Amino acid sequence: MKYKFIDEITSDVMFEAYGSDLKELFENSAEALFKIICKIEKVKATKEEIVEIKADNLKDLMFDWLQQLIALVDIKNMFFSKFKILEINENHLKAKIYGEEIKPETGETVVKAVTNHKYELKKEGNKYKVRVIVDI
Amino acid sequence: MKEKLKQVNEYEWLINRDERKGMNVDARLIANKKIMDVMEEEAIMQLTNVAMLPGVIDPVWAMPDAHVGYGLPMGAVAAFDKEKGVISSGMTGFDINCGINMLRTNLKYNDVKDKMKDLIPALFSNIPCGVGSKGKLKLNNDLLDEVLSKGVDWAIKNGYGVKDDKKHLEEEGRMDGDPSKVSDLAKKRGLQQLGTLGAGNHFLEIQKVVGILDEDTAKKWGLFKDQAVIMVHCGSRGFGHQVATDYLKIHERAAEKYGIKLPDRQLACAPANSEEGQDYFKAMQAAVNYAFANRLVISHWIRETFESIFDDTWSNLGMSTIYGIAHNVCKLEKVGNKELYIHRKGATRSYPDIPVLIAGSMGTASYILKGTNEAKKTFYSTCHGAGRAMSRSKAIRSFRGEEIKRKLESQGKVIKATGWKVLAEESPDAYKNVEDVVDSVHNAKISTKVARMAPIGVIKG
Repeated sequence: MKYKFIDEITSDVMFEAYGSDLKELFENSAEALFKIICKIEKVKATKEEIVEIKADNLKDLMFDWLQQLIALVDIKNMFFSKFKILEINENHLKAKIYGEEIKPETGETVVKAVTNHKYELKKEGNKYKVRVIVDI
Repeated sequence: MKEKLKQVNEYEWLINRDERKGMNVDARLIANKKIMDVMEEEAIMQLTNVAMLPGVIDPVWAMPDAHVGYGLPMGAVAAFDKEKGVISSGMTGFDINCGINMLRTNLKYNDVKDKMKDLIPALFSNIPCGVGSKGKLKLNNDLLDEVLSKGVDWAIKNGYGVKDDKKHLEEEGRMDGDPSKVSDLAKKRGLQQLGTLGAGNHFLEIQKVVGILDEDTAKKWGLFKDQAVIMVHCGSRGFGHQVATDYLKIHERAAEKYGIKLPDRQLACAPANSEEGQDYFKAMQAAVNYAFANRLVISHWIRETFESIFDDTWSNLGMSTIYGIAHNVCKLEKVGNKELYIHRKGATRSYPDIPVLIAGSMGTASYILKGTNEAKKTFYSTCHGAGRAMSRSKAIRSFRGEEIKRKLESQGKVIKATGWKVLAEESPDAYKNVEDVVDSVHNAKISTKVARMAPIGVIKG
């Protein structure tokens, strides 16, 4: 499973994303996020953007990654549907993300932000897992 | 924690500070028994977390619309000492100055009934809404800075709204915002979205006044039975979300730097008089100004739309502002002889004889209330809406947007939404009963009923 949504919080949306390595974890988390924002299966991967994030630790790196993607929706006026992590370690990532200019009919809802509430990133056995609550 | 609740009277409940280690003050809740029975354990726990923060003033409050939020419940009020307290970006939340503007009209339901089928689509096309909607305004960085520092004064100067509107807005639609305390990323997000409604629980409704519950006040505020009125619910959009996100990080570091123990990471804060606290306060006020301007620009387009549909001027149609309020905000306000930093998260200011606007869920009643002297005990605050009772994902699984639309339309309401999912998500059944919420604050006397409205037309982003 790449990710799942969890019913626990009344006003916001919680999801868990998984990955056998960091690359997968970050790609799957981004996909879960855009599953909330838009009809991701209808968003064509015709335009690309490069995203680069630096952070003090892995938890912050994930937080900033998702937060940057949310901001890019407003700034680039795009929805994204495909995410490719090119380089990643605990403090840095470089990614290519693909999508297209926003078509209103493919929109779902505005994700306002990633919250720190119950935010958790850990390695269980040889699998990574992140739990995220976003404010919508 | 719920078992520790003591009932103070029919509408007030208490968790004494001795009930949980670390609480500096008591936690109190306004609610009738029916609401308290379904109040989530975690929401109460979150409220007691807030009671642990330094400089918090006794008590922290939850309103009857409270439900689990991030960090603190939605529907909460926490006041802090001006010197020894904290200012918290986490507690103010991401949608800074999410709030409501209401316009009145001279029109009766019968005057608008037959026009609704034209009016709602016209409003839908004139007011951008939904995810990724861009405003029709073309701002550059200098103009944006002006919006951030001047709020509705910018809007009025540029022909959106009039001076009279200002008199009927909380803080007269302008706080002390400082654009220099805002990140470039926040500004980039703010450039394209002024004059947009947003999505989710944000909406525009045409409502009918179905009940006058305080004749004298209603008359004074220009309200009458069967009147058509307009309610706009939205906030500071991506700009405010980014300001909150930026400062959440700064406040997390600040809490560590100043040795503030956070019971929940999302309660990130800084000492009120620290640089981190004051910088946020100025940046937050810039977002407050953005939201005030946003709602007034939208109000202007509503007036224009009415002018074209009713072929008359908006002033002839009597479309003045009833009032405009914020319900996600931190403000320095005087309570008694003390100035306090009051965080209202999903809560509304309740000043004596000043309007309080309460949004019901889509398809159910909304209220205009009046603030009271008794609200001094809640730091002049009251509830803000119905409050969710069901998670959004559960609502989407439980309800079908098409059916909700059909049901509402069978009641004579005209609905226009950007998609089906938002209708399911915002289903009236996913919310608490607004009547219980409003009865609770009315009977607790922290705000009293003036008018009850039912929606006749709904636009959802």
